[in-house]
Amino acid sequence: MKKLVSLLLVLMLAVGCVGFAGAEAGKIKLVVWSFTNELQGMIEKYYLPNHPELDIEFQIYPTDGSAYTTKVDNLLGSNATSAEAPDIFTLEAAFVKHYVEMDWTGDLKSIGFTDEELATAFPVMAQIGQNAAGVQKGLSWQSTPGVLMYRASLAEKYLGVTSPEEMQAKVADWDTFLETAQELKEKSEGACKMVIGSGDIWNAYQYQRSEGWVVDGKLVIDDELLDFEELCYTLEQDDLTHKGGAWSEPWFAGMRGELETLCYFLPTWGLHYTLKPNCVAGWDAENPDSEENIKNATENGTYGDWRIVDGPVAYSWGGTWMGINAAKAATADDAKKAAMHDLIYFFTLNEDFLVQYAADSGDFVGSAKAVETILANGGTPNPFLGGQDHYAIFANAAALANGSLMSEYDDTINGLWNDYVTTPYTKGEKDLDTCLTEFKAAVAAAITTITVE
Amino acid sequence: MQSSKTLQTGGTSAPRTKHKSISYSKWGYIFIAPFFITFLIFQLYPIFFTFRTSLTDAVGWEKVLNNSIIGFDNFHQLFDSSSTVYGKFWGALGNTMIMWFFNFVPQLGLALILASWFTDTRIHLKMQGFFKVTIFMPNIITAATIGMLFMSLFSFPIGPVNTFVQTSGISNMPVEYFRSVAWSRGLISFIQWWMWCGNTMIIMIAGISGINPSLFEAALVDGCSSRQIFWKITLPLIKPILIYNLTTSLVGGLTMFDIPHMMTQGNPNETTNTVARFIYTQGFTGSRNFNMASAASVVLFGIIIIGSLLIRFVLNDHEPKPGKALAKGVK
Repeated sequence: MKKLVSLLLVLMLAVGCVGFAGAEAGKIKLVVWSFTNELQGMIEKYYLPNHPELDIEFQIYPTDGSAYTTKVDNLLGSNATSAEAPDIFTLEAAFVKHYVEMDWTGDLKSIGFTDEELATAFPVMAQIGQNAAGVQKGLSWQSTPGVLMYRASLAEKYLGVTSPEEMQAKVADWDTFLETAQELKEKSEGACKMVIGSGDIWNAYQYQRSEGWVVDGKLVIDDELLDFEELCYTLEQDDLTHKGGAWSEPWFAGMRGELETLCYFLPTWGLHYTLKPNCVAGWDAENPDSEENIKNATENGTYGDWRIVDGPVAYSWGGTWMGINAAKAATADDAKKAAMHDLIYFFTLNEDFLVQYAADSGDFVGSAKAVETILANGGTPNPFLGGQDHYAIFANAAALANGSLMSEYDDTINGLWNDYVTTPYTKGEKDLDTCLTEFKAAVAAAITTITVE
Repeated sequence: MQSSKTLQTGGTSAPRTKHKSISYSKWGYIFIAPFFITFLIFQLYPIFFTFRTSLTDAVGWEKVLNNSIIGFDNFHQLFDSSSTVYGKFWGALGNTMIMWFFNFVPQLGLALILASWFTDTRIHLKMQGFFKVTIFMPNIITAATIGMLFMSLFSFPIGPVNTFVQTSGISNMPVEYFRSVAWSRGLISFIQWWMWCGNTMIIMIAGISGINPSLFEAALVDGCSSRQIFWKITLPLIKPILIYNLTTSLVGGLTMFDIPHMMTQGNPNETTNTVARFIYTQGFTGSRNFNMASAASVVLFGIIIIGSLLIRFVLNDHEPKPGKALAKGVK
């Protein structure tokens, strides 16, 4: 028995060693780091078959608990040119600004990107991928405009709304949004709520600001944020929500229709990866398009009942940018630079690929030109949305959202704003002035490099 | 190598030739080397690095290796009541002490009672192994997992506990446990207690088992009650174990991080923020204030040393007593 076990261990070790064998000779080696296996899957499916000269080493660190950023920071800060350091690394919305502001992340023009190429990206995604001086350091293969998704059956039952146009008029701005929420409470006698929780509207509402959190090294509390607090306060105190948080059990129960909820603020990925797989209990993730699955989801869930409208404000939520390691790009030879450029260009801006990828995955891509082509080809009627074309509405939001509001401290400051202002104020624990004072003190303690007045 | 051999053989076997005695001591050194090498690289060096960083202006990753020494400014801020971090640091220390106290007192009490029951020859409990394993079990599970478990158990507005409370008629409204200071702190203390009680109990049992049985027999013959045996014999003789437990628990309690971090993130209103979470948020969020995080770590280090010395000083008897002499004889 023991011999068998040790034999197995030896075998496993041997297999492990083979797995670690070095780069194959004559190939261009690229190290790609990411926090999910999404990019690896895309590269292996669409890119590597046509590029046998590439030897790509993938490294995946889950973002949970900031493991990925710590890893990147450590390596780029101490040993950026080592063999294990990434050539290309992906950046998500929470920390993309942090990296594009750093010298470690290279200028995309240094590996051969031209202004004409960059101009085809959606402005909001391009803006987020730029540092304060306007240098383009990151490009996103998706753009992630956000919209308002609502359930047509509930809208008709309680509000008498029969088309997305009518619905849009009911949520054209935040005042009408609140009025609709009150009307909904009245007509449904409190059974159906406008949103799961007031926190759900933050991702959209923050794009209502005219200035970001930090302007010229100073903390700015935009007046719109105070209106946001009043809106959330009314929503909470008047019992217009189910009082649940995003990603909580009630949030998903609302998607399945178990908890009557009219609206969700979700971006492109939220439609395909969050709302759709959660529209029914027992969604078949292996065969999502099978007849049985769709039938089950339509009869027992909310499949086909959703529609999307622009909502009160155009916003963007999420996105994954590709950035390059400045130190390694500087020492790379021309062939390698070209390989890096071609890879990033292919996934973020190559029109032919993006049109095909959008058709394969239903994702909303990052190139405005590719989106135009898709719309010109007749769009993408979506049975999940009762035949509505999601591309047209997403394209509208993508063109309007203002990416220049984002700053590298957003992740921290948004968290503090929620903990010190939104939660205590809307739950009626403290008055707004106390909350604001405590918030400022918390920002001053957390971020010593900006001025707080 | 040469010198160590000379040392080994030097005194007793000087007349013999070197080759006759074989020294195995180098194997000893080789076998303990991995520990010391890892310790030097991964513990001692980072400790000195932290001390150094606490004296610098290292804000942000760019400055971790590339900074300049600015003296004791960071420490000054931690002790200056007008600075931005003063209230947060000392507030966090207060929270930590409160949560540690309500974890430790019941933990020590229950562990002592259980340990004395398990070792009591008169009670002679059946199925001891089963009970010990069950009580020790929570300690095996990762703290993060338990944090997540309790977070979902007590989640609002829908969660197992809320559903139970509503269906059983205790309350008709769901309770938001993690917005209540008492509930949040209480749950954290409870989890710490629940996780570490078994561990303390096992150490106590080991301590009590180490006492010479003839002492208990003598006490029984003299007609002592169980209570008298516990207070007059068991407790004085396991004092070194008590000091050990108290000290390790102080170190663990003051560096408490995972449960509050997973479950409450310091909420509501910073009342469950611990010193370790303060250090984490300084170092790994916002502008990455590694200097302040290091300074706070050094201050925490100082507090722990003072606390440990205090425990030793208070619990150790300095005058020789019969009990002390006995304990030494037994140990």
